[in-house]
Amino acid sequence: MIIAERKPFEEITEMIKGYKNILNVGCGGCTSICLAGGQKEVNQLNAELTKENAELKIDSFVIERQCNYDFFVDLDEKAPKYDAILSMACGAGVQFVAERYTSIPVFPALNTVFCGVDRNVGWFEENCRTCGECVLGDTAGICPVTRCAKGIFNGPCGGTRIDGSCEVDPDTPCAWTDIFNRLTEQGRVDKIIEVKPPRLWQNQVRRVLIQEDYKARYAE
Amino acid sequence: MSDQEKKAVDRAEISKMLDKKAPEMKRILNYCVHCSICAESCFLYMSHDGDPQYMPSYKIINSLGKLYKKKGNVDHEFLEGIKGMVWNNCVLCHRCYCPIGIDIPRMIDFTRSICRSQDVFPKLDEGESWL
Repeated sequence: MIIAERKPFEEITEMIKGYKNILNVGCGGCTSICLAGGQKEVNQLNAELTKENAELKIDSFVIERQCNYDFFVDLDEKAPKYDAILSMACGAGVQFVAERYTSIPVFPALNTVFCGVDRNVGWFEENCRTCGECVLGDTAGICPVTRCAKGIFNGPCGGTRIDGSCEVDPDTPCAWTDIFNRLTEQGRVDKIIEVKPPRLWQNQVRRVLIQEDYKARYAE
Repeated sequence: MSDQEKKAVDRAEISKMLDKKAPEMKRILNYCVHCSICAESCFLYMSHDGDPQYMPSYKIINSLGKLYKKKGNVDHEFLEGIKGMVWNNCVLCHRCYCPIGIDIPRMIDFTRSICRSQDVFPKLDEGESWL
């Protein structure tokens, strides 16, 4: 799931300065679940904004997903009535809204932080950098890109502390120590000595994925 | 949230929302022939051993269908009752197939909008979840 958090209030007020009639659009997907951009958070932000500026007219609306135009039917009716839109979706959703209503300024109310898991209510942890070349099968289900401070594919590095923590931050467990321990537990520690070639990180362009079965449909 | 704190249901607002979609809803309620073909295209129905509560047609007939028949004249308890059906029992994956062409996810989405308009939605920070 995509995890996001609300931008500082001052940053939001600065962005929308000068606009008097705004629609704050929440998202019923990931940002609802991570308690950053669902209906409750939309209402809360609007209450804070109107408290700050009594002249501001800001309405709330939540669509089930801002990353899929199938859910935009009702928003299509509402959006043109406003001078600006505040979106409480992830960066992908904000861009999709902006692409749909190009004549209306769309502002993000959230910072999209990472792709992660729910550890508990309101507690989320990053687990994936969506690098596009998953090595979890060789690393006992622990991502070296995300969890190693250096993102190294062949670890551990020389900076692992004796207690199994990372030299960069003593409160962070060394990902490669964890990988070693789990591979040992699974009886396949030999995996750790397989050298992985370096990855080409440069020249990254926007990725588009069309699943194999759908390639013919979109060929033109 | 106690009953006293709950926002009173604005029946006129629900009725207005329903009126706007009346032609679409009439079509759904009249044209659904209960063929159950949508059921087998729903992974939730299949993964719950064919529990009829997960049938896409069941979900709209028993949520939006009832709302429409009652002309929006419902209380908070009714909306809380259908909340599970439209959030927990459907992920809006858009994979359900209707041979007649009824847009089932659109109707679930609309039912959620009606619930949201009355402040009924999963309170995730209070331990509620969907799925």
